[in-house]
Amino acid sequence: MHRDFNDPRWFERAVFYELHPRGFFDSNADGIGDLRGLKDKLDYLEWLGIDCVWLLPIYPSPMHDGGYDISDFLTVAPELGNVDDLVAVIEEAHRRGIRIIADLVMNHTSDEHPWFVESRSSRDNDKADWYMWSDDDHRFAGVRVIFCDVEPSNWTFDPVRGQYYYHRFYHQQPDLNYDNPEVADAMLGVVRHWLDLGLDGFRLDAVPYLYKEEGTNCENLPATHKFLRRIRSEIDAVYTNRMLLAEVNQWPDDVIEYFGDGDECHMCFNFPLMPRMFMAIRREQRFPITEILAQTPAIPEGCQWGIFLRNHDELTLEMVTDEERDYMYAEYARDPRMRRNLGIRRRLAPLVDNDRRVAELLHGLLLSLPGSPVLYYGDELLMGDNIYLGDRDGVRTPMQWSPDRNAGFSRADFAQLYLPPLMDPVHGYQAVNVEAEQRDPSSFLHWLRRMLAVRHQYPQFATGSFEVLPADNPSVLAYVRTARDGDRLGAGLACAEFPTEAGVSDFDDVPNLSKAPDLDKAPAAVLCVANLSRFAQPVELSLGRWEGCTPIELLGRVPFPKVSAKTYSVTFAPYGIYWFELVER
Amino acid sequence: MAPSPAALEGLVIPYLERQPWFLVDMARYDRDVWASFKLADLEIIFEGRPGMASVVVTVGDRPFHVLVGWRDPVQTPAALGEHQGAVLGMCDDGAGDVLCYDALADEELATRLLAVASAGAKTANRVRLVHSLVSHASLVYDEYLFMKCYRVLEPAPRPEVELLGKLDEVGFRHLLRPVAHWERNGWDLALVREYAPGAVEGRLLALTSLRDLFGRNLEAESSRHDEVGGAGGDLSSEMRRLGEITGELHLALAEAFGVRALASGDALGTRAIRVHGDYHLRRVFRSDAGWIIGGFGDDPLIGRPTDSLGRRRPRFASPLEDLADMTYALRQVAAEAVAAQPAVMWAQAERLAKSWERRNRGAFLSGYLGVEGISSLVVLERAAAADELRSLVSKRMAAAD
Repeated sequence: MHRDFNDPRWFERAVFYELHPRGFFDSNADGIGDLRGLKDKLDYLEWLGIDCVWLLPIYPSPMHDGGYDISDFLTVAPELGNVDDLVAVIEEAHRRGIRIIADLVMNHTSDEHPWFVESRSSRDNDKADWYMWSDDDHRFAGVRVIFCDVEPSNWTFDPVRGQYYYHRFYHQQPDLNYDNPEVADAMLGVVRHWLDLGLDGFRLDAVPYLYKEEGTNCENLPATHKFLRRIRSEIDAVYTNRMLLAEVNQWPDDVIEYFGDGDECHMCFNFPLMPRMFMAIRREQRFPITEILAQTPAIPEGCQWGIFLRNHDELTLEMVTDEERDYMYAEYARDPRMRRNLGIRRRLAPLVDNDRRVAELLHGLLLSLPGSPVLYYGDELLMGDNIYLGDRDGVRTPMQWSPDRNAGFSRADFAQLYLPPLMDPVHGYQAVNVEAEQRDPSSFLHWLRRMLAVRHQYPQFATGSFEVLPADNPSVLAYVRTARDGDRLGAGLACAEFPTEAGVSDFDDVPNLSKAPDLDKAPAAVLCVANLSRFAQPVELSLGRWEGCTPIELLGRVPFPKVSAKTYSVTFAPYGIYWFELVER
Repeated sequence: MAPSPAALEGLVIPYLERQPWFLVDMARYDRDVWASFKLADLEIIFEGRPGMASVVVTVGDRPFHVLVGWRDPVQTPAALGEHQGAVLGMCDDGAGDVLCYDALADEELATRLLAVASAGAKTANRVRLVHSLVSHASLVYDEYLFMKCYRVLEPAPRPEVELLGKLDEVGFRHLLRPVAHWERNGWDLALVREYAPGAVEGRLLALTSLRDLFGRNLEAESSRHDEVGGAGGDLSSEMRRLGEITGELHLALAEAFGVRALASGDALGTRAIRVHGDYHLRRVFRSDAGWIIGGFGDDPLIGRPTDSLGRRRPRFASPLEDLADMTYALRQVAAEAVAAQPAVMWAQAERLAKSWERRNRGAFLSGYLGVEGISSLVVLERAAAADELRSLVSKRMAAAD
């Protein structure tokens, strides 16, 4: 084992990798990716340099919502394997220093879940009030409909029971009734079940909606927070080094509540930041980013943001103003097919017109802005999407491993695949695949791997303080990540933890990955400068505090001119992003 | 221990005379230059070495303020760094020779000045001299406060100090808020305000937007971005927000200084309020907290005074005058961007610039007219307001020609 696993705050330094088990690798040639397939590909993830895998739902499901409609919380979907396979994945991953967290949906079940089947069967069965039943559809009238493209209401009539049931998402996903303590207890049992098997934590789906109350918007209610604190205290009492990552698609002031006083979730996604990174680049100015970061409140000690560029859902535009949404649609989703609900269903590469420089810029930001970065499988290859597939399937196509049949994803018949791999001339698997990019030292994959390695060497990126630096050019975003007390220890760990022998040595062309930094001279500040414009830009930075320091560019270790004057003039290439260590010498 | 008043006076006067900001026509005064100067005020701020004094000298009826610092002559060159020209000369401070100089050039003294100017309320670790102008010098402290140290004094309240104070009082927040001012003997010597690090002139945002517009449309055949609305660097949402804040500014000015009937000849359908009076894209700044309006006096962020003394007379006029200034500024910046293109592109760039200007002007006006309560100042319907605005802008263009 490369890494010290006894670190309760590992998630603050981790790079996450979100993957779709059905789309990653198919070990048994049935056309659907599975857990054994994932186990076979752990070497690749170790080689890439990620720290934690986040699995999209692994539970049995009728798949009306990509597996988020769970019909059994305690087993693994048969097409993915069984519980033993999951345990094997966890063990093998741990052996490589990689942790595994999994999606868990607490808000609702599938309408095929035995709980619901029983609940709907009559009005007086044992589970009769495990769901939200009503004689009419008038309750919670002020609650918004999230899947507004397809669901006219949050209530659907069930002819079996002769009542309406409540659902925040698809009508195949009835909401559980948390006012019934049996439901909360049962869900806690689910959490224990998986943690006992060795899972390192959960990404909690749709957290804000657990408890409902008439006269509110049924989001972020105090009872929901109370329940999360209960789960957290159970985890803290019984388990070690586990974590909860909450999906709370809300404004920062509401999201912050889900950290509690450091006694609710360990991590929450920073949703509002993501669309603004795209917006800033399209507008060639930093304010969309700096503005939202200025509004983002400080989080409690021992908590961390999760930040991302793209994920399995649409690029959600709930957390922007109407005007900003119109702008994002106009710029990034000209074709209405690219839109879904309040979002844009596209992968990163097509979103940026397959511009490698923009992809690098966005990843450079992702790896250096405050928070633990979450990569989405395939984006490390600049994989494309297929907007002609329904729902969000367009961004869930098979991982492209090689130019072989079915992208090397599966040996099944093409017609049997859960979704067709991409075959278009730009993003198709013949050109865009792991094998080809590993062979090509100048590929995006290699670039990203190098960036991940550098990020691991500097704890400032993970836990350092964040400060935007004044720059006279609005197209330039400059910020400093400064080590906090205790980060020096972190640097030592990061260095010691880093795998000295990469898993796929054939492709290990990265020099000095394991070179230990001199701990006595652990750098205090890392300066990040991004040119958001597609033209070269000059900038004058105020680096007065670092007068006498030499900025050393982190990829090439190139020393830049010493900071001598109060303003520091540099010129940056189009879409360039640069990381500098500020060294006194 | 400090130099005597006579010694300081003797050093300050020749120093003043050779400053580029000392714009006094001495021919108006006595042939005996020395006789027209008078030491009006002296305060020893720090005794010892380094020491500092605040000196006010009048020339005729015009008072000038100089902060004099002194040190041991051997230490002085190091303390002044790149500002060796700030030296006034040698004198005796009672314990021997000292070298006197403009104290703002000495980082240590300039840093300690903040506590003096804010009566001990604020302190800082670092200072940055932003610029030295006719009317004042600007210093930035720890990138969170800045101080305007006035050189040409006016009897308190200086219009800028008064205006900012009143706007702050009525709750207008889109400016750099005053936090302290240093007044002595009926003169405002310095004003300390919040600072917005990283704020950028509106003009630069406009040029960024135009650069993108031209870049996309003049480069290649790009059917995606064939219209201004599709330009990635669209400025209209920012202009709409600026319009809203301009409306809030006018309502705040009306509340602070009252509303008057309009003198004939000005725009019809509006009331007269105290207007900004010099409202254009170099006077507004985009910060992480949104737009900030500056230029009520001459801001350190701007760096250009409006008259030789850096003063602007308070003016009551139609609020449309400010809107016309800003609209005219959009036209100017668009013209500037067109002129920066190669000549063969001018015709095409001109066409794009026109529609850019139309779009942003419209967004600005919509934002402004959408502000709640603005109809108490501008009674006109949108179309009429737009017409009126157009005629005011035409007047400015005619005047510029």
